[in-house]
Amino acid sequence: MGRLNRGHLIEAAVWLSIVAVFYAFSFEFNQPIEIYIFGATAWPRVVIFLLLIATIGNLYYQYKNGSSAQGGIVGSTEDADKAADFTESTTLIRMIAVLFTPFIFAWLLKPVGIYFSAPFFIAAIMWLFGERRWKAMLVMTFIIYAIFIGLFLVVLNAPLPQGNTSPFYDYSAWILKMNTQLQANW
Amino acid sequence: MLEKFLAGSAALFGDPFTIGIFVFGVIGGMLFGAIPGVSMLTLAAILLPFTAGLEPAQGVMLFAVIYCTGTYGGAITAILFNIPGAPENAPTAFDGYPMTQKGQSGKAVGAAVLCSAIGGVASALVMMAATEPLANWAIKNIGPPEIFALVFFGLAVASSVGARTIWKGWMSVLIGLLIATIGQDPVGGINRYNFGLTDLAAGIAFVPAILGFFAVSEIFVQAERTATGTYKAPKVSMTFPTLVELWLHKVAVIRSILVGFFCGILPGIGATLAAFMGYGEAVRWSKNKEEFGKGKLEGVISSETANNAATGAAMIPLLALGLPGGALTAMMVAVFQMHDLQPGPLVFYTSPDLIWVVFAAMFYANLSILIIGLVETKTILNLLKIPFPFLAPLILMLATIGAYISRGLVLDVIVMFLAGILGYLLRRTGFSIPGIVLGLILGKIGEQNFAQGMQMVHYDLGTYFSRPICTLLIIAGSLTLLTSIYRAFTPAKVQD
Repeated sequence: MGRLNRGHLIEAAVWLSIVAVFYAFSFEFNQPIEIYIFGATAWPRVVIFLLLIATIGNLYYQYKNGSSAQGGIVGSTEDADKAADFTESTTLIRMIAVLFTPFIFAWLLKPVGIYFSAPFFIAAIMWLFGERRWKAMLVMTFIIYAIFIGLFLVVLNAPLPQGNTSPFYDYSAWILKMNTQLQANW
Repeated sequence: MLEKFLAGSAALFGDPFTIGIFVFGVIGGMLFGAIPGVSMLTLAAILLPFTAGLEPAQGVMLFAVIYCTGTYGGAITAILFNIPGAPENAPTAFDGYPMTQKGQSGKAVGAAVLCSAIGGVASALVMMAATEPLANWAIKNIGPPEIFALVFFGLAVASSVGARTIWKGWMSVLIGLLIATIGQDPVGGINRYNFGLTDLAAGIAFVPAILGFFAVSEIFVQAERTATGTYKAPKVSMTFPTLVELWLHKVAVIRSILVGFFCGILPGIGATLAAFMGYGEAVRWSKNKEEFGKGKLEGVISSETANNAATGAAMIPLLALGLPGGALTAMMVAVFQMHDLQPGPLVFYTSPDLIWVVFAAMFYANLSILIIGLVETKTILNLLKIPFPFLAPLILMLATIGAYISRGLVLDVIVMFLAGILGYLLRRTGFSIPGIVLGLILGKIGEQNFAQGMQMVHYDLGTYFSRPICTLLIIAGSLTLLTSIYRAFTPAKVQD
């Protein structure tokens, strides 16, 4: 096993799966192109093949050196593999929540719209980042919401998702109506 | 030339409304570049429909000014938060962010201001003096084989910076190239890897992917540090670099101007590759290679000079050949088309006034970077004093809008957060995010130009290599690659 650990094997398995999946799906578009003899599959397959070689090379490096950084490489500032300790379950749960809260927000954009969901999202992220002073959270949520509305709606008139279900859509419509009135009064 | 430049300046500053648009472009570009989560592309995408109501010269000038100042603005977030405002600022973060962590943020931002201005002004001057001859030279000597060769060289350089090992550097670039294959193939228009989703047929949009990989993943990294109690607030410093310090890097500045200008002049390449090549060359010629990536001022200087030097040069293929060099210059083509104009050789004869207003505006915009940049730097450095729990939701909100606005698709927001999670996991395991992004950006360009090149030479590699510039670039790329292969198989000097 050399200096390989379970993390290295999982990492290699993930990359080999990606290689396998992309190679398998490349047969779906394996059609000739009249003006180009290499067709649509040649470029992706070369990339897949090189990724396979790099994955094996990476595994070999880890077999020899473990997770250590290679000397002489420029620009790597990440403390990989020793960046975090997730042995405490609360820490792990909090991190999972941080990763998935934006997804819930993105998923809600279509039905609920950004105007209604934004304040809840802003407050949730603050809370997940460890802020517990509810007055500070309230004030900062208001300020960030005001910056967002002021810059993108009032100044730039940017088209943003309004939602498609009531009463969220009605709330977005009310905000837009207020903006129109504000601009008309100017 | 001077006469035309003065006429362009008079047209620019002779009308209060045009001055207003110029000032809006300068401040808007800097601001959107400097706010983490959005970029100059966000501003440009929002403004695009409004340019229909402007004069053609005003519309194109506005975008050209945003391009110059936005390229500089993105360096600020790269240095202060490790979130490059645009891909062209990614190499700036390699040394800029470690400088912030060491309490030298003022020095890094100050160097970025000065070098962006120097690179931009030099590029603008060459652009004014030599757009037509350079365009003629490019038409004769630069074709798809040369562009493919430069992409190859750029990717070889990118694979050797930013990751923990050479293998992970290659894998990072290859992941980017693989993501770039999603969507229609650039030759036959055949759908690849869209998994039945219509929205994916157009491929992965750059803006959400870049926001996810850079901004969102950095938020997740900081969240991890907060959750595990390892978060350290960056140190604020107001010390600017001295003139002596900058003078010591004059060779790096000149080299980066040349590299940036050469990359900028090539259609489709633009400032991103220029920044990577500028940084890569700085490392290559340095006697203290091991200091790069740990907060070396030369890293910031090389990258920022090169990317701004590419902005003026990128206008040459756009104006002279009608070929955009990146996302923002592509939007400029749309501005031209909205006004029934077509960028290309004829534009110099049909709209010379427009050309010289744009040239003059770019020159003054780069000068403004120096003046406004130095004044605003101290204000911007105060961003570091905002506690991260308040900054994180602001960045995520702005990134959400930035991802949504360009195409109006919620899918792009989802792609951004997916890229954020992927970026976070890859960073934890030592991969290079800038390498992935460069692969993503250059993947389609590389494939398209390889295919066109092969068709041009009737699939004869001998003819391919008989082109001197192409051969030179392929040799340079191969040497870079061979060096990294040698390093990959040499017993590693490991750093635990």
